[in-house]
Amino acid sequence: MRAIIHVDMDAFYASVEQRDNPALRGKPLIVGGHAQRGVVVAASYEVRPFGVRSAMPMARATKAAPHALVVKPRFAAYAEASEQVFAIFERYTPLIEPLSLDEAFLDVTASVGLFGTPADIARRIRKEIADELNLPASAGVATVKFVAKIASDLAKPNGQREVRAEETVAFLAGLPVSRLWGVGPKTEEALRLAGLKTIGDVAARDLDWLEDRLGSSGRHLWELSQGIDTREVVPDRAAKSVGAEDTFDEDLVGVDALKPHVHAQALRVARRLRRAALKGRVVQLKLKFADFTLITRRTTLREATDDGQTLYRAALELLDKSHQGKPLRLTGVSVQLDEEPPQLGLFPAAAPRTAKLNAALDKIAERFGSKAITTADIAGSEATDSAEHRSERPVDKGGPKD
Amino acid sequence: MEFRIAADELKKALYRAQGIVERKTTMPILANVLVTANKGGITVTAFDLDIGVVSEHPAEVIKTGAVTLSAKYVFDIVQNLPDAQVTLKKLANNYVDISSGSAHFKIVGMAAEEYPKLPKEENAPLVQVGGNTLLEMIKKTQFAISSDETRYILNGVFFEPQSTGKVRMVATDGHRLALVERELPGDFKLKSGVIIPRKGLMELKRLLDEAPDAECHLGFAENSALFKKPGLTMVMRLIDGQFPEYQRVIPKEGEKVVLVPKVRLLESLKRIALLSADKSNAVRIGLEENQLIITASNPDLGEAKDVLELAYRGNGITIGFNARYLMDVLAVTETDEVSFELGDEHSPGVLHAPGDRSFTAVVMPMRV
Repeated sequence: MRAIIHVDMDAFYASVEQRDNPALRGKPLIVGGHAQRGVVVAASYEVRPFGVRSAMPMARATKAAPHALVVKPRFAAYAEASEQVFAIFERYTPLIEPLSLDEAFLDVTASVGLFGTPADIARRIRKEIADELNLPASAGVATVKFVAKIASDLAKPNGQREVRAEETVAFLAGLPVSRLWGVGPKTEEALRLAGLKTIGDVAARDLDWLEDRLGSSGRHLWELSQGIDTREVVPDRAAKSVGAEDTFDEDLVGVDALKPHVHAQALRVARRLRRAALKGRVVQLKLKFADFTLITRRTTLREATDDGQTLYRAALELLDKSHQGKPLRLTGVSVQLDEEPPQLGLFPAAAPRTAKLNAALDKIAERFGSKAITTADIAGSEATDSAEHRSERPVDKGGPKD
Repeated sequence: MEFRIAADELKKALYRAQGIVERKTTMPILANVLVTANKGGITVTAFDLDIGVVSEHPAEVIKTGAVTLSAKYVFDIVQNLPDAQVTLKKLANNYVDISSGSAHFKIVGMAAEEYPKLPKEENAPLVQVGGNTLLEMIKKTQFAISSDETRYILNGVFFEPQSTGKVRMVATDGHRLALVERELPGDFKLKSGVIIPRKGLMELKRLLDEAPDAECHLGFAENSALFKKPGLTMVMRLIDGQFPEYQRVIPKEGEKVVLVPKVRLLESLKRIALLSADKSNAVRIGLEENQLIITASNPDLGEAKDVLELAYRGNGITIGFNARYLMDVLAVTETDEVSFELGDEHSPGVLHAPGDRSFTAVVMPMRV
């Protein structure tokens, strides 16, 4: 039996803004880009009753809540806060699976002897985040990942909820089927037509019946409805790839406009690789165009690297070949990690000069924050930091949509 | 040009060309062989701008001359002729009539004048070498040549004459190394070793394999090698560069030394490697009291274990290796037993015949 905590920061970007600027506290706040063309990046709890949600066009959000205060996002500040939050997680377990800047799974099974029950650990983490960083966080505690995630969602804002193993099935039973991982609008409709509205309805059916109607996903849904979820918490160290991406405030066109973002993403990925002592050879660039079509392009480096400039050069080559001069709303850089057990070499390779440079840069960033030192092309721009993402083992595909 | 030749003789000449001619090239003529009819015989030349082979064959020459022909198609034709004799006759516009018994072929050729000229290496001081010895040395090193084209220095075998009348050949891909030292007396007049490229070495091996007992000569000049045996001359361009300092990576003697039955070890590695993860061939080799234990595990399949009894006293240790690397060495080891020297998880394993380091292989571990 595992002990999983899902920690999710509450309205993270908005909370950082409210913390750093007392004038914003307790007010309806929208963090977002251009008033006409941008999207909402975050909405404080005070503005949510008016229907404002992240990813909503700014024009619509300001119409729905004309009294709301609007600030431009400061990604560097959020990345900094995120690193501090993850540093608190690391006090309790090395098994941390980041889902984004403000959200992570923690496997605390082995930490119970040291720090108390999983619920105690969740409480301590939230208290330390509140005391040291002055930010609200919610947590879900369960024996499997997807239940922990649902629990944290139900505990929001600034709360926590534990679902014990024996309570799991009953806890799930009353929830709508759309809460299950892998249930999108299409499956939801199919289930509704079959008369299944709640997870309890699914659990009450037998497996064959579900498999007849839904094929292989029938088994998956049935298992989830029973609280069965075999996916483990996969820290970066065990991940298949490490990546960073960001959605722009407004669509960008042309290599010159995109370069700083891709550069910042490459540097960020490299920093995470080095922190986890990992290297990778396969570099992937992800592009989402204004019309939401998504393409990925990959290239294989001669040897595995954890150097940001090397990743940037590879990503830039891919970008040159694939941006087509069309407006883009997102770029992402990721590296597939070397999986082979590493073969040792006969001739000790002199550490490349970049390794020394990177070690020095990492030390500076560790002491003074990630925005203390960066390359000239991205200095002072919003591109300094970007949302993180990580790909999981194939079995983890199709996780929940937030 | 017109001549009559035994089909088998022509087949032999064209066979020698098959490994050299380049089919995927921007110079189409490099897919061809140059056929030259002289008084008393013909020569067939294959050349890829780096390696050239000139093969001489007896033929009844009716009219001297030269033409180039597709190495592949003419080889295929010659293998399927109805008669033991074949006549080649050049027609207008470099067409060539090939006739044998009832069969006729009219083949498009290209002008002999367009064929690139082979470098003349007559100044190379030739040394008579034992074909069998040279063949053995190639077989004992070729497997360790790197196939990573970005490390072109390692894409060949280092040929290094010693002061003792012996020659050392060394190959490494950066993960493992094979060294063999054999008697090849004679003065090659080399200041230091030279690097023979893989393709040239493989052609040389093929030519030696034809008749290892034939009188062979080898020499070096400028940045080329010259090989001669009766009826055949081969030239090749050498790899230009500094071979790594291989001596430094060969340990003197490992901490733990075991004598292992060669065939047992080879077979055991083969079966256990079936279960290594992702075709990496990773196996773990463990030493415990009087046992060598080979294990492998694959998250998708399961585990495998085999135990060899042998004489060992000392601390237990487990080291990961690429089984392929060890098997490559064992496959060319002639003794029944092999001496296997191990250090720790980060130190190379060394294989050689018991009490004889003239053939030594060094294999770096894998982190498993």
